Amino acid sequence: MLNSLISGLRSLFYKENQERELDAELRFHLECQIEENIRKGMNRTEAELAAKKTFGNITSVKEKCREIRGISLFEDLWQDICYGFKLLKKNYIYSLIVILTLALGIGANSAIFSVIYGVLLRPLPYEKSNDLIYLKQQAPLLQIDNIGFSVKDLEDYRKTNHSLIDIAEHHSMTFILLGREQAEQVRTSVVSANFFDLLGVKPLMGRTFLPDDEKHGAEAVLILSYNYWQKNHNKDKNIIGKVFQMNDRPHRVIGVLPSIPEYPVECDVYMPTSACPTRSSKNTIENRSARMVNLFGRLKSDITVKQANSEFKTIAANLEKEYPEAYPKNSGFTTSLTELHQELTEQARPTLLILLTTTGFVLLIACANVANLALARLMSREKEIAVRKALGASKSRLIRQLITESIILTTLAGLLGLVLASSGLHLLIDFASRFTSRASEIQLDSSVLIFTFVVSLVTGILFGLLPAFLPENSLMKALKDGSAANSAIRWQKLRGALLVAQVSFCFVLLIGAGLMIHSLVKLQQVSPGFNPENVLAIRIRPNWSKYTTTPDYHLLYQRILDKVKNQPGISSAALASTYPLDKISINFGPANQTFSIENHPTSTTEAIPQVDTRLVSTDYFQTIELLLVTGRVFADSDNLDSPKVAIINRSLAQHRWQTQDPIGKRLSLDDGKTWITIVGIVGNVKQYGLNKDYVDELYLPLMQYSGAGNLLVRTRIEPANLKRELQKALYELEPEMAIPEIETMQAVVSESMASPRLTTILLAIFASLALLITITGIVGVMALMVTQRKQEIAIRMALGATQHNILWLILRKGIFLVAIGLSIGVAVSVVLTRLMSSLLFAIEPTDPITFFTVSFLLIIFAILACFVPAHRASLTDPMKVLKE
Amino acid sequence: MSKQKRELLQGTLDLLILKTLALEPMHGWGISQRIEQVSKGILSINQGSLYPALHRLEKQGWISSEWGSSENNRQAKYYQLTLTGKEQLAEETENWEQIATAVTLILQTN
Repeated sequence: MLNSLISGLRSLFYKENQERELDAELRFHLECQIEENIRKGMNRTEAELAAKKTFGNITSVKEKCREIRGISLFEDLWQDICYGFKLLKKNYIYSLIVILTLALGIGANSAIFSVIYGVLLRPLPYEKSNDLIYLKQQAPLLQIDNIGFSVKDLEDYRKTNHSLIDIAEHHSMTFILLGREQAEQVRTSVVSANFFDLLGVKPLMGRTFLPDDEKHGAEAVLILSYNYWQKNHNKDKNIIGKVFQMNDRPHRVIGVLPSIPEYPVECDVYMPTSACPTRSSKNTIENRSARMVNLFGRLKSDITVKQANSEFKTIAANLEKEYPEAYPKNSGFTTSLTELHQELTEQARPTLLILLTTTGFVLLIACANVANLALARLMSREKEIAVRKALGASKSRLIRQLITESIILTTLAGLLGLVLASSGLHLLIDFASRFTSRASEIQLDSSVLIFTFVVSLVTGILFGLLPAFLPENSLMKALKDGSAANSAIRWQKLRGALLVAQVSFCFVLLIGAGLMIHSLVKLQQVSPGFNPENVLAIRIRPNWSKYTTTPDYHLLYQRILDKVKNQPGISSAALASTYPLDKISINFGPANQTFSIENHPTSTTEAIPQVDTRLVSTDYFQTIELLLVTGRVFADSDNLDSPKVAIINRSLAQHRWQTQDPIGKRLSLDDGKTWITIVGIVGNVKQYGLNKDYVDELYLPLMQYSGAGNLLVRTRIEPANLKRELQKALYELEPEMAIPEIETMQAVVSESMASPRLTTILLAIFASLALLITITGIVGVMALMVTQRKQEIAIRMALGATQHNILWLILRKGIFLVAIGLSIGVAVSVVLTRLMSSLLFAIEPTDPITFFTVSFLLIIFAILACFVPAHRASLTDPMKVLKE
Repeated sequence: MSKQKRELLQGTLDLLILKTLALEPMHGWGISQRIEQVSKGILSINQGSLYPALHRLEKQGWISSEWGSSENNRQAKYYQLTLTGKEQLAEETENWEQIATAVTLILQTN
């Protein structure tokens, strides 16, 4: 192998020399033969002719010698490439169509692959990332998948487990950072001192946290994330040591992180647990039920996730025995461990795999189309190939030529595909960020390049090798005996088969897109339960540390509401702890609280009743136009001095009181210490997504509690136009207040559907692409068939066939092929669409309406595609054709 | 010259070339002439396979080549047996003799 390579390389240099030697050697032989012939009595001309005849095909002998010497490999390749380019330039329309078609197919695949690689395949960018695990405390009997851990939980797990090297904690907060021009809301990760060591992250500047930073009463310190340092501090090299005011305490910057993806959430600053007012409060530290932190761990090298899991299950069971009031039997507390990588990507997996399947199909369809084109062109090249064979080209050499040509095409297509992929990549990153925090890692890197290269190469070899797949084809015959034979009819069969395959793949993609569209339409028809028109949702973050008592808060609430209501164009305003379809609450899920109903003690075997609780100010229901069913809404008189009251939604009423009237009944959120009277029932609202079921809801008057970071405003005019003025008014009122978000409620509703909508759009784009390619494929195959049967058609017409007969003759053939493709497509779809049932809303994966509509659509398009060549065939002038 | 010319048995061309070159270095034309003469015209060498065979043997290292002038004062490429070529010739000769004996034995049985 190496020898032949060296000799091949050397012969590239000595090529001229060797070629001359070979020439001279053979010429000497010929001359000896000529002299011999002359001696036998022939004249010069006769002798030369006879010598050449005896010798045989000189070119072929030379070719054989070259092949043996290993010249061929490189020299021929170069020749093939030059020849290939020449041919492709000559047939530039063919080349362009092939390159474009394949570029679309390859580009789509490269783009989706870069997402798949960045999210699903690439290891996490941390030291020994396979050992990193995420801990989840679950309460399956309360249907809670991840309830979080309390500080006491953490201490016990840290102490007792033997599977993990260490456990680190994390929770996110938003604080106001002062000391810069404007009050700035910073997304803050509160972490244990060992957090960065556990992940293996080294600081870009300064240091990470030390155990002393976490001690009670230690100086508050901060580490900045790379992005925040770059964007908000202009990469300030002197940032270390700077002091900012947060939570009424000075915080000193001690480090900056390198540019790495941040998990579990992206944030601006990191602080140790001792610096977070909530985390360091006595209640959080001592109350075993105050579960608010996430835990990460690193497995010991000889421990598997399974072993660790079983140990943690045992620890959880022991804790349940020891502290029955913190882990009630009827909640079913347990702890489970998953690999961090899996935890971060689980949600994205089904969608991404469906997209990859889709683009894979698009590429297959594109390949079928190109193969069809290539076949058509090969037929017209039979003669050329036969001539080259006669001139001494070997069979393997000719096949190599064909493959070289197709690889040139697919390589160009691959390059163009990469350009297409990179231009659409930022859209895909946006898209992926809805499913996984790894989206920021997606890029067109070397693995994507390799993937694209391999796909291009395989495609090129496949469609270049096409003639070899024909058992009885004329090309092989042409290669063998050097004669050109017109065997178009046999080729037609293969082209028909390719067309059938195309139609069936196309159908599967159309069904996929069709199901998503139908499901999206259903989703958009769902009523959210309130009126999102003319409502603004504003997230407000006052500097809470300025307000310590409940009356302080109430005063602030009142000031905000008074100020906003007096703005022009505003009809009502309300404050609330959450609002429907808010992405933050969708992310966290229902804020479930356990409750008890007066005179309805729950047995220990029964699951504790739970309700999604929110605080709203008096005008909340009026502001979002949430319908009151019976009873009354809140009034300003429902305040700290009056009896506790609540409003429930219909779902809770039906669930807990069935036929009874809940108005006047009492419930308690603190095991009967205080009783709350139900005063009204309101309609159900889709709080957590239009595709989600209603949850049991409990509304409490804000003025009897405190904690509301969202301002809702109903406007008389287009709400988007009031954004700026409202923002200004709020800053005037509270200069230290951050306003991180201000959105129209319609945008919020639309945003809640963004991920199914984007998935639908992507699938629809790919399916339309597939349809377009397939249609052009049908037109191409039928048109060629018409050309090849021109004489037959002319004879039929001469014998009395009408234009109508001919039209039907061709149409029938096309419809027959499409019908076969369609039937296969239906069968494949029925099996494959089941994989996407998790993405569908309110329809079955075999939804008959979609199947019917898509079939109908495809048939119409196919008939139109067949009609064009069929119509042309029917216009044949028999006399003209027959005379030819 | 009335005897009919025979096609060479597959694989025997290499052996014949090596044997011919064992006597003295020779060019392609000479090799083909020599084989025809020695076999009394029964074997004729097809040039289409002679030259590829020479190049193959050279590549395998059994023969080497250099340019020299021929009897008629022309430049010709002379091939000669190498050391490994000699070994190869001995091996192939033995091999051939065994086969020939075996074939003869079979043909002589009634």
